[in-house]
Amino acid sequence: MDFLFEGLREAVRLIASGDPQVIDAAGRTLSISLSAVFLAMLLGLPVAACLARRRFVGHRLLLILFRSLLGVPTVFLGLLCFGLFARRGPLGPLDLLYTPSAIVFGETLLALPIVVALAHGALASLDPRIPETARTLGAGPFRRLLTYLSEARTGLILAVLTAFARCSTELGIAMMVGGNLKDRTRTLSTATALETGKGEFAVGLAMGGLLLLLAAGMTLLVALLGKEDQKNT
Amino acid sequence: MTIVSTHNLAVSRNGTPILVVDDLEIDSGERVGIGGGNGSGKTTLLRVMAGLEKTRPGRIRWNCTPEQVTVVHQHPWLFRGSVLSNVEFGLAARRVSRTARRRQSIEWLERLGGSYLVGRDVNGLSAGERRRVALARALAIEPRLLLLDEPLAEIDEPGIESIGSVLARLGDTAIVIASPTDLPEGFVERTIQLVAPRELRNP
Repeated sequence: MDFLFEGLREAVRLIASGDPQVIDAAGRTLSISLSAVFLAMLLGLPVAACLARRRFVGHRLLLILFRSLLGVPTVFLGLLCFGLFARRGPLGPLDLLYTPSAIVFGETLLALPIVVALAHGALASLDPRIPETARTLGAGPFRRLLTYLSEARTGLILAVLTAFARCSTELGIAMMVGGNLKDRTRTLSTATALETGKGEFAVGLAMGGLLLLLAAGMTLLVALLGKEDQKNT
Repeated sequence: MTIVSTHNLAVSRNGTPILVVDDLEIDSGERVGIGGGNGSGKTTLLRVMAGLEKTRPGRIRWNCTPEQVTVVHQHPWLFRGSVLSNVEFGLAARRVSRTARRRQSIEWLERLGGSYLVGRDVNGLSAGERRRVALARALAIEPRLLLLDEPLAEIDEPGIESIGSVLARLGDTAIVIASPTDLPEGFVERTIQLVAPRELRNP
């Protein structure tokens, strides 16, 4: 028990004192996850809007595909990205393996189905009177789109937060295509695994603690937004 | 001047006719009621006139731009946010300056007896208050063709009076009102009686 408490005390000290190793990994985790979520939103929002507003051949199949990819194991995505970025892989010439860009690519794949599935849910449940009302008040296509997105904003923010929580806490992709290289690709999750493996339990706990704070913060925000949404309906 | 005219309108949904109307002309400044029983197509006719529903066969012609036509639904949708941001919506779409649209929106709310709604959020408004905000929003853009679907349902007596007198003073705006029964007698100049298509087939 002492071992745990001592580890915990040391972890708190490392976080409070702004240990460079911990801050470096936290900063990289944030920048990689935010980039991945941004790209997933950029790609996923138009897909979600299209799935919510239009019916076409393969519509249902596409929706099922994105929903079934929600639980894809990160280690599988890591393996897939490794195959793509390995020297003999199709994207090998780009020389991206063991770089933050490779992790961003993998995490974008991880975040994309989350963004599409959740944003589709938010947009599909919007009242059909919204675009009609905007149109009959003289709003052009761009203002109508903004109104449409604004009315679904709680659901869209939920999608972003859920995708961010998943990306920032995942281990498989960061380990397989990032390689856990110090000062280059080390993230909070890979550092937690490494430090614990080395016997540096307190450092591992500090990294893990930050991850936990991040995940708890996201969950809290998601819960608060869910409450806000219920109040608005 | 005729603001909207229709010829041989018919609308079907899933193969079932839901609206059949012969030739129809509505002039600027005219106040026309649409009567008829359930399923006669009153709301559908308003939707066709608002450009929200296609007519096949048949033809509809407007003598104004689409931006000059607006509709207040039977259950109007208010966008999230404040009452004022809702009333300002159409003015913002027309790039009216922030100060001018704020002033005009407050004026319209006052005219409709809703000055107490300024500063309120749309959450928590009663059905009658929501309708009043939607009316102010539609009137703020000064349409040439105003389409109202049961505009006074759920509005109290003083509200009906103030809305009735505002609508009566709109001048050139043509108003088409579905089920105008709550409005003061003589408010509508003529009423178009619709017959449900199913009754046309089985008289």
